[in-house]
Amino acid sequence: MAEERLEYHIYEVFAQESQMAPAVHQFSLLASSPDMALILAKENFLRRQKAWSVWVVRRDHIHRTGPEEAEMFDRLDKSYRETEGYRYLKEKWRRYKHEPLTTQTMT
Amino acid sequence: MPDDYRQYLIRLIAMHGISEIMGALPEKEWVPRAPTLHRKLAIMAKVQDELGHGQLLLRVAEDLVAPLGMNREDLLNGLFKGTIHFHNVFHMPAPTWADAGIIGWLVDGAAIITQGMLVQGSYAPYCRALERIIAEESFHIQHGESICIALAEGTKAQRQMLQEALNRWWEPLLFFFGPPPKSELTKHQDLGLMYRLRNRTNEELRQRFFHKYVPRIQALGLTIPDPNLRLDKETNTWHYTQPDWSKFKAILRNEGPMSKARLILRHSAWEQNRWVREVLSTRAAVAV
Repeated sequence: MAEERLEYHIYEVFAQESQMAPAVHQFSLLASSPDMALILAKENFLRRQKAWSVWVVRRDHIHRTGPEEAEMFDRLDKSYRETEGYRYLKEKWRRYKHEPLTTQTMT
Repeated sequence: MPDDYRQYLIRLIAMHGISEIMGALPEKEWVPRAPTLHRKLAIMAKVQDELGHGQLLLRVAEDLVAPLGMNREDLLNGLFKGTIHFHNVFHMPAPTWADAGIIGWLVDGAAIITQGMLVQGSYAPYCRALERIIAEESFHIQHGESICIALAEGTKAQRQMLQEALNRWWEPLLFFFGPPPKSELTKHQDLGLMYRLRNRTNEELRQRFFHKYVPRIQALGLTIPDPNLRLDKETNTWHYTQPDWSKFKAILRNEGPMSKARLILRHSAWEQNRWVREVLSTRAAVAV
């Protein structure tokens, strides 16, 4: 019977601790198939850690930015996007004799 | 990445990865002979962790050798060809259960002192691996402490066994951190310091080990086999008898007490498991 030779690939491993938790990158491993990658991921990275779900993704299927693009994420003044930029409202509401509402106090 | 930086990293990380695998060998001898089921489960877990650490580190080393056209198999074969060394501490015999305890308590303790420095180094992929490894080492240390304290609190024969294991391991523990500065054997230390892969010398690490462990070893009622060992309170430096560095050099040539036996064991495991690697890299065509 003919046999197919499998190539080894690098897989990046992610794990979700619970349904609500984000999938967090763990490490990478070398495997000849996604099945083997999942088994090794459990053996290598989840011997103690709690996990609800494990993901394995071939590294060459991941598109990422490099260090040369890291500057792109440097902070500009984005106060118009953030609550920090609207702190003066607290003082305003005090003058109107009311507490300011936030998402926390509303729910 | 500068070439000498890459070469330094490859030597360091491949050696570390291979050493994790070789380090499991003296301990795994004690899995079938552990005194209780609880001890058997714990030492099995530790052996599995060590092999897992080997996987992590070889993964990092692979990424470094890939641009040179090499892969994991080349790294593993490097051990057999003698181009990659395994750590000097794993060339020693572990003839009693107390040796398994001393390895966990003091050898892993020494390893954490080194790794606690390396994890602050300049190469992030290695540091990320070390963070995972150190988290597990803290279990290993307590596993070793638990064995040693049980023996220290045991019968006279058990205390004697522990003392004899300490006597055997004291010199290897001094070797562990490598030779003192200005020795012909420390040529790589400066490059490591320059590239910020380490920020302490071998001797500084050894002194840290003395500070942490000498008082604890003595507190258990054990005698350290060095009559000259003492702390100079003014300089906060430990004075000790230098080990026989010619033995250390012999280990570097794979001529330590167990060097050949461990290499043969590793090689036979590699050959005996060849079929597993073959199975994992082929997929039989399904008959229709």
